Amino acid sequence: MSQSSFTERNLHILFPLPAIIFVAMLMVFPVLYTLFLSLTNWNLTSGAPLSFVGLKSYARVLTEPRFLHALTRTFVFTFFAVAIEGVLGVAIALILNRAFVGKSVAKLLLLLPLVATPVAVGIVFNLFFDPTTGLANYILTSVGLPQGLWISSAASVLPSLIIVDVWQWTPMITLIVLAGLAGLSNEPVEAAHVDGASEWQILRYVTIPMLMPVILTAMILRLIDALKTFDIIFAMTGGGPGYASETLNIMAYKYSFEYFRMGQSSVILVVLFLVVFGCSLGIMKLRTSSEI
Amino acid sequence: MNKKLLSNILFYLIVIAIACIVLFPFLWMLVSSFKTQVDIISWPPKFFFTPTLQNYQKVFEEQDFLKYFLNSTIVGVVAVGFSLVLGLPAAYSIARFTQKKLSVFILLARLMPGISFLVPWYIVFSRLNLMDSYLALILSHMLIALPIVVWIMSTYFNTIPREMEESAMVDGATRQYAFFAIILPLSGPGIITATTLSFIFSWNNFMFSQVLSMEKTKTLPIAVYNFLSYAEVDWGGVMAAAVAIMTPAIILTMIFQKYVVKGLTMGAVKG
Amino acid sequence: MRKLLVAALVILSSLWLSSNTMAETKELRVLLANHPYGDLLKAAIPEFETATGIKVNAESLQEGQLTTKLTTEFATKSSSVDVFMTRPLQEGKMFYKNGWYEPLPGFDFSDYPKNVMSVATFGPKSYLVPLVTEWQVLYYRKDVLKDAGLKVPENFTELEATAKKINSDSLAGFASRGKGAAAVTQLSSYVYNYGGLYLDNGVAVFDAKPAVDAIRFYGKMLGNFGPKGVTSMSWENIMPLFQAGKIAMWTDASVFYGQVVDPAKTQVAAENVGIANFPAGPKMNSPFIVTSWGIALAKQSKNKELAMKFLEWATSKELAAKGMLSNITMARSSVWEDKAILAKINPGLVETRAYAAKNGNPLDRPYMSAVGEARDLIGELVIESINTKGESVSLEKMAKEKVAKVNEILQDTGEYGK
Repeated sequence: MSQSSFTERNLHILFPLPAIIFVAMLMVFPVLYTLFLSLTNWNLTSGAPLSFVGLKSYARVLTEPRFLHALTRTFVFTFFAVAIEGVLGVAIALILNRAFVGKSVAKLLLLLPLVATPVAVGIVFNLFFDPTTGLANYILTSVGLPQGLWISSAASVLPSLIIVDVWQWTPMITLIVLAGLAGLSNEPVEAAHVDGASEWQILRYVTIPMLMPVILTAMILRLIDALKTFDIIFAMTGGGPGYASETLNIMAYKYSFEYFRMGQSSVILVVLFLVVFGCSLGIMKLRTSSEI
Repeated sequence: MNKKLLSNILFYLIVIAIACIVLFPFLWMLVSSFKTQVDIISWPPKFFFTPTLQNYQKVFEEQDFLKYFLNSTIVGVVAVGFSLVLGLPAAYSIARFTQKKLSVFILLARLMPGISFLVPWYIVFSRLNLMDSYLALILSHMLIALPIVVWIMSTYFNTIPREMEESAMVDGATRQYAFFAIILPLSGPGIITATTLSFIFSWNNFMFSQVLSMEKTKTLPIAVYNFLSYAEVDWGGVMAAAVAIMTPAIILTMIFQKYVVKGLTMGAVKG
Repeated sequence: MRKLLVAALVILSSLWLSSNTMAETKELRVLLANHPYGDLLKAAIPEFETATGIKVNAESLQEGQLTTKLTTEFATKSSSVDVFMTRPLQEGKMFYKNGWYEPLPGFDFSDYPKNVMSVATFGPKSYLVPLVTEWQVLYYRKDVLKDAGLKVPENFTELEATAKKINSDSLAGFASRGKGAAAVTQLSSYVYNYGGLYLDNGVAVFDAKPAVDAIRFYGKMLGNFGPKGVTSMSWENIMPLFQAGKIAMWTDASVFYGQVVDPAKTQVAAENVGIANFPAGPKMNSPFIVTSWGIALAKQSKNKELAMKFLEWATSKELAAKGMLSNITMARSSVWEDKAILAKINPGLVETRAYAAKNGNPLDRPYMSAVGEARDLIGELVIESINTKGESVSLEKMAKEKVAKVNEILQDTGEYGK
């Protein structure tokens, strides 16, 4: 009896404890180890033993133009991908937000890109974007447009990758917003109708503000993943041509597993984590303030 | 009236256009998987051709895809199973005792760049003699599945009125008993959602498996990527492999469509 | 709850046990490349197993992943690898420096040419057995050249003139790898033929005039006559285009010959595909001829005796002969002298090999530990040159910067000037 009451009194600790221990076990060592490595010069190509160099790796990586470009590129990719997905996703949701024949089929179709394996998606789009034999250029030609180089040129590689990301993830925003729309109460909209507001005004001043928390949450989820995008870029370009599509995640991978500069790679990873953490925190703040 | 008809037509045109864009890459992949290498690289792209099954033959006979298939399934199922075991009580606790910090801690796993885990895990798992074992892969995939389970289930438990277990507790039952006997049986839909989603994410994972798995435990995404091998690009084979890897996830999605949509939208809409 | 935990623990520990049951039987772990010879070995392993009673756990990986996996395992001192395929020019120096190769004093190297052994030997000892040799050749379309009334180009001037003449919207006159780092190996023969080098005695020198001229020429050829999007193309993108009949001339390694004449993979009839010596440059003709793959013992292997047995078998003359018959150009000299084998091999391969073996250069990339990083740096020059069709005004300046960078890396790794 007394033991059971002990369990019950401490249920709020005992229930989550296994999960906490597990996450801590799998995460704490890697996090500490990455921090530790970022302070060393561990570099397998030198064959020299690992030694502690303080912030030297930070100084070297953070001033490297290649790193700064990758950092900017990570933001550019994320900003455009998430912004386009947000606008398109909300727009499509607003269009589909009515009863129509085949709505459930449409919803199912929207799910498919979300569950498609990213590596495989990347490879399929590679075939599609091939400048000489790919279908993308065939379509452009047949409607009378000039052919593009897609992922084969530094100028168009980032937009092309954004297209793939938009294709795969816009449906997620749409589905989330659709669910949000279904949960909205109709009263404010009807009241606005009674007051003689136009459809556009209702959308702009009633529906969208009510949806804002949902939209922002959807965007946070996308933002976290977009900043860390790896599979698609890795499978499609590996960061190329040159470094034209190299984001922080890809750069960190190359530094770890192609250059074997473990110390410097860890610096990139620390920065990437701070970026992801900072951006998520920022948007969460934005959401709380929009709720007030 | 005419205006209404027009807007209806316009509406369906838009819906069809969206459907085409969404479906298009899948269809092209499917079509290409039945082409020979010669047909795939021909220009203008061939829409009519003699279909061949040789790509699928290659994928399943020469490449041992069934083994990778089984590996992906084992890893996914066990990782999701353990994640439920660990995640359900945690999610319950977060929901009922409003442990915000705890949920943030578990979601941290989602914020970390996956690459930063790889080298440290490598060191730990190899010291424990766990390289190329299912256990190492399962543990790593649990780090994908567990946050999903916690995220979805804590929201789900919040929708179950507290009176459900409180009335039982008034009758003398312990809270843990109430959780197992009353709350869990009510949570079927939530659990299906969490299971399907976390399984699909585990199924699609490339990064962890690429470093932690070897011949014995190689999973499907790695096998697909490996199709691009030295001195040979077999586009037809790659496409057939891509079809093979996506089919199970798509079938699962079709069966559990309602739940998957809920899972993807739940946290966002309620949170 | 407790029951669930107990159940979980039981399952976890049983999984662990099952992974630890690698019993005391005679077992080897072998890492192979996704390479035709790796495939050949893998298919033949059951014969080895029945003959010796040794169980071989073989695993094939794509080349980049193979390097990554070996390095990560060795560096974290966690490897259970006994024998592995290795690329001497890509990873040899790094592996040697870290002490990951086991020396092979007992192996009979007499069947391997001296220049081939140069990359397998460090100081007095040899550390790996060469498997496959590759050299650079010119693939061309016989029918296209014939229709245009042109002969096969023998030097760079002719190469340019020919490419210019046959280049059209639907047919690229010339192709070679343009994808930055991947292009570095194919560019090397151009650099040599202009009289330049990547590294000279451990110092980067590719900012000297001959090397820069070569990079300009490479960029001019690909920028003017190359296929669309060539700066993102490695062999895996160019070969399908050649097979689709969209490229007239292509310089790349000899390994691809089997693929471009295979009727199941190509739209171009085999009799229309030619193979010729790499064209001469202004200074000389010294295309690369390299040991692209070798096989080695892992230093930390606990089964060195068994591992040596496997290595002897995997490098045997019999398997080399088998490799030759499947169009793999093996490193052993004797198989190139065996009349029975030569009769079944394409004469183009035999001739171009003889030429390259006599005149060629045994390196196709900067030979250093941090070769991956150096290739990326040189690759930037290649892309700049292609994008400007060889006219870039800043190429010299960029080359100086990259040379400084490579020299800095060489200093970092203690290889500068050695």
